[in-house]
Amino acid sequence: MKQELGWEPKLLGFLCRWCSYAGADLAGISRKKYPANIEVIRVPCSGRVDPLFIIKALRLGFDGVLVSGCYPGDCHYQTGNYRARRRMAITKKFLEYIGIEPQRIQASWVSASEGGKFAEVVTAVTKELKEIEHNQLFADEK
Amino acid sequence: MKNNEIQQRLRQEAKTLLEQGQVEYIVGYETGSLKFTTTPLLTKNKDDTDRLIVNPFIVNNLSVYLTEIKGKVGIVAKGCDSRSVVSLIQDNKIAREDIVIMGIPCPGLIDLKKVELLLSKDRDELGNITRDEDRVVITIDGKGRDFPITEVLFDNCLECQIPTPQEYDILLGEPTTPISGNVSKRTNIKELEATPREERWNFWKEEFSRCIRCYACRNVCPACFCQRCFVEESEPQWILPTPKWQDNLIFQVIRNIHVAGRCTDCGECERVCPMNIPLRSLTRKMYEIVDELFQYKAGMDKNALPLLTAYEPTEAEDFIR
Ligand code: SF4
Ligand code: SF4
Ligand code: SF4
Repeated sequence: MKQELGWEPKLLGFLCRWCSYAGADLAGISRKKYPANIEVIRVPCSGRVDPLFIIKALRLGFDGVLVSGCYPGDCHYQTGNYRARRRMAITKKFLEYIGIEPQRIQASWVSASEGGKFAEVVTAVTKELKEIEHNQLFADEK
Repeated sequence: MKNNEIQQRLRQEAKTLLEQGQVEYIVGYETGSLKFTTTPLLTKNKDDTDRLIVNPFIVNNLSVYLTEIKGKVGIVAKGCDSRSVVSLIQDNKIAREDIVIMGIPCPGLIDLKKVELLLSKDRDELGNITRDEDRVVITIDGKGRDFPITEVLFDNCLECQIPTPQEYDILLGEPTTPISGNVSKRTNIKELEATPREERWNFWKEEFSRCIRCYACRNVCPACFCQRCFVEESEPQWILPTPKWQDNLIFQVIRNIHVAGRCTDCGECERVCPMNIPLRSLTRKMYEIVDELFQYKAGMDKNALPLLTAYEPTEAEDFIR
């Protein structure tokens, strides 16, 4: 499929307030360069993310969704990210089965000190999204 | 044990439970109003226990009532149903000591739609349907026709690995084994998996264009026990109430994710769907994903943490950056 010229993917990030959001903040403060394709929703914990948020974002036309939280063992609430991990694992496989491109469902662990890693993740995800077509999954006509 | 012996024993046990005050309610099956069908029987009255039946048409997963009944309950449960009961215990929706499980080692249930299709006849034109081990005899105009039982059992029964209740207080009959023999399994799922991504999406888009959002699939499901379902939330309104395919699909996809690890592949959602949407091709797939990733099957152990509450320090990481 041909992409429109100058097409830029839209990425929605759900970042946990303790680690990944702080990591994103640090990326900004330390002037790390990364694509401006991400919009961010701060959540109390990656465990707060109901897969419903992900599919709703796709329904609204986002090209991809990134859920990012603290590394295993570092969750502010001890177990939130473990739960997020199980949920994301089944969600990803299931959405793939019904026909959603796997590239649209992304996850990462980014700590509060990893501004650099956050920039890398957004760069890599944006690149992957550019390689697939613009999200028209929920469009009425193709 | 033959069905009528099981039925006799069930009636006795149920009566005793009520008489001795061990339970307040009995939930089982009685003869339905349409030919061959059965319907749930929920009663406090010991004389009603004579109406309890066991036959190849006891389709409902009765555990769906448990969260709504206050007081001790004696429930008739097939293999899958008993696991739904256990799953509800795991989720703290009911207490084990409030439930008396009258387990039925399940030889599989007969799908009347398959029978009608097989004979190109309406169920009202049929005389009798009798199961004899791995055969079924169907009489039309007084003449009996004989088929392998695998031709008429529900798909989920053909694929069932745990037909005997694992958790029970009374087991009505001898433990039974999964259906073997020459049956094609997971046909729809296998076909879908072999289809290109875009066609898979279009397949579901087409299927859910038919959905009328009656919510029968949700209401019949023992794993869908939320006081307030996300589809009815208004702040934010996740999906519109009008049945557009996009929202229909989101509803079903999210429902499947919500019941992951609780779904016992009882097949009730697919059976009740008035639009014949192949819902088991979703629920069964999720059942397999859960098993593959976490070696977890719903409702096997009442003391286990529910799937999405439990975790191992390292697992299922490969997709995380
Ligand atoms: S039972 Fe069928 S038609 Fe009704 S809401 Fe569920 S999928 Fe849609
Ligand atoms: S679909 Fe989800 S929110 Fe609705 S009743 Fe089922 S589990 Fe609860
Ligand atoms: S999702 Fe369907 S098959 Fe699974 S437990 Fe609920 S009604 Fe049964």
